[in-house]
Amino acid sequence: MAAIKPLRAGHSKYLLLAFALFLGTCVRGQEVTPPGAGTYKKRVLENAELQVLSSYYQQDGNNAAVTGGQGTEKLTDIHPTVILALPLNEDDVLTASFGISAYTSASSSNVNPFDGSGDASPFQASSGASGNDVWINGTVTYSHSSDDRNNVISGTLSGSNEYDYKSFGIGGSYTRLMNQQNTELTVHGSAYLDNWKRVYPIELRTNEELLTQTARNSYNAGLNFSQLLSRRAQASLSLDFVQQQGLLSTPFQRVYFGDVADRLFQQFPLADDIERLPDIRTKLAFGGRLHYYINERFVLRSFYRYYTDDWGVASHTVNLEVPIKLGSYFSLKPGYRYYVQTAADYFAGFNGHLSTETFYTSDYDLSPFTAHQYSLGLSYLDILTDRQLLGWGLKSVDLNVSGYRRDNGFRAAQVAVGFKVVRQ
Amino acid sequence: MIKLLLGFCCACCLSSCVTVKGYEMVQLNDPDMALSPTGVEVQQGNFQSYREAASGANSGKTGGGCGCN
Repeated sequence: MAAIKPLRAGHSKYLLLAFALFLGTCVRGQEVTPPGAGTYKKRVLENAELQVLSSYYQQDGNNAAVTGGQGTEKLTDIHPTVILALPLNEDDVLTASFGISAYTSASSSNVNPFDGSGDASPFQASSGASGNDVWINGTVTYSHSSDDRNNVISGTLSGSNEYDYKSFGIGGSYTRLMNQQNTELTVHGSAYLDNWKRVYPIELRTNEELLTQTARNSYNAGLNFSQLLSRRAQASLSLDFVQQQGLLSTPFQRVYFGDVADRLFQQFPLADDIERLPDIRTKLAFGGRLHYYINERFVLRSFYRYYTDDWGVASHTVNLEVPIKLGSYFSLKPGYRYYVQTAADYFAGFNGHLSTETFYTSDYDLSPFTAHQYSLGLSYLDILTDRQLLGWGLKSVDLNVSGYRRDNGFRAAQVAVGFKVVRQ
Repeated sequence: MIKLLLGFCCACCLSSCVTVKGYEMVQLNDPDMALSPTGVEVQQGNFQSYREAASGANSGKTGGGCGCN
């Protein structure tokens, strides 16, 4: 862990140099117009596709940010999503998705721990109304492909809403395929214009606002470059730059100072202040993906990402997956993911901050930790969609289960299922 | 780490000089070889963008939503 250092100006030059080197060497192929272009165009999407996804997620731990770094993190979430892709003509596709996330959170319930029937405690959920919420999200994407299929532009609008948070997003991308479609370069950008409803811990609510801002804006820009390396291997490199501005702390997350005496009500320590963080954050992520077709039974999928930001966080992520083919239709997908991060400069645990500090948080998502995730997936894929129901052909079914564990005791588990049908 | 990344990029550069023809892409077109994540993979990765400080460079969400629960 100590070996990881946040990226500073000098290091970012190397990353950009590496990325530019890769792009410069590979993007040199000749543009080739497909034979017969102009006389026949294959549709980008032949028929409408409907994808239904759903996941069940649960977590638990003892370092809830709402209660200042000590307290239950128990949470359950059910998240169904429907995605419909419609071909508008030979070149254009409209994709719309709608998702709902319904969650029950013990730590959120402790925004007001005193509205339940028993004694309040950071380690017990309150039975009050703040313990559950519904997040609703909608996204619409329009994409257009050129006649030779070597240029694709797309635009996206999105919106989401939950009790204390609203988000509006707009984005776009341009993809250029080159070198007989061996090389693909995508430039993308997006902006999320979000707004908080300031909800404070119950004991800190007065007539005065503790925070002056309510807006949180995120601006993203990125490059993605993919390349066929051989008949069996392909790779991609991604670079994402994100800048966030505005209210970047969470209004209802408590902080306790080491130089202020604890005050208990029932078994619950009353907050000294809410979390306070800088109003700007710049993030840089660099990722590489390499997929190799080993033989007719095994495929190797690997991913690595380095992340850094100007709050002092640096992280490495490694993901390995080896799909195993079971006959013509099924694949079994065991996977492992390793994640490690350093702490944000403003992080300390319960009673770890001093009241003289300017910025402070006890959110363990910003703490130093290592996480391991094991997953197992089972996929069914029938490109010809032989199995049909009500005019729709079944194209794929996916099931995935995973377990996630941090070295600080936090644990999570998830089951996700999805199926895709195609209009016949 | 920086050296590793540079080495990876150089290795990719050397290999990427070949051009794979359309009729040679049978194995590359295998669904398990796709570089973009499937719907279930995106769904499964959502919580990571909330529970971890890092995000981005993985064809996933890099902004929007508070992730505060």
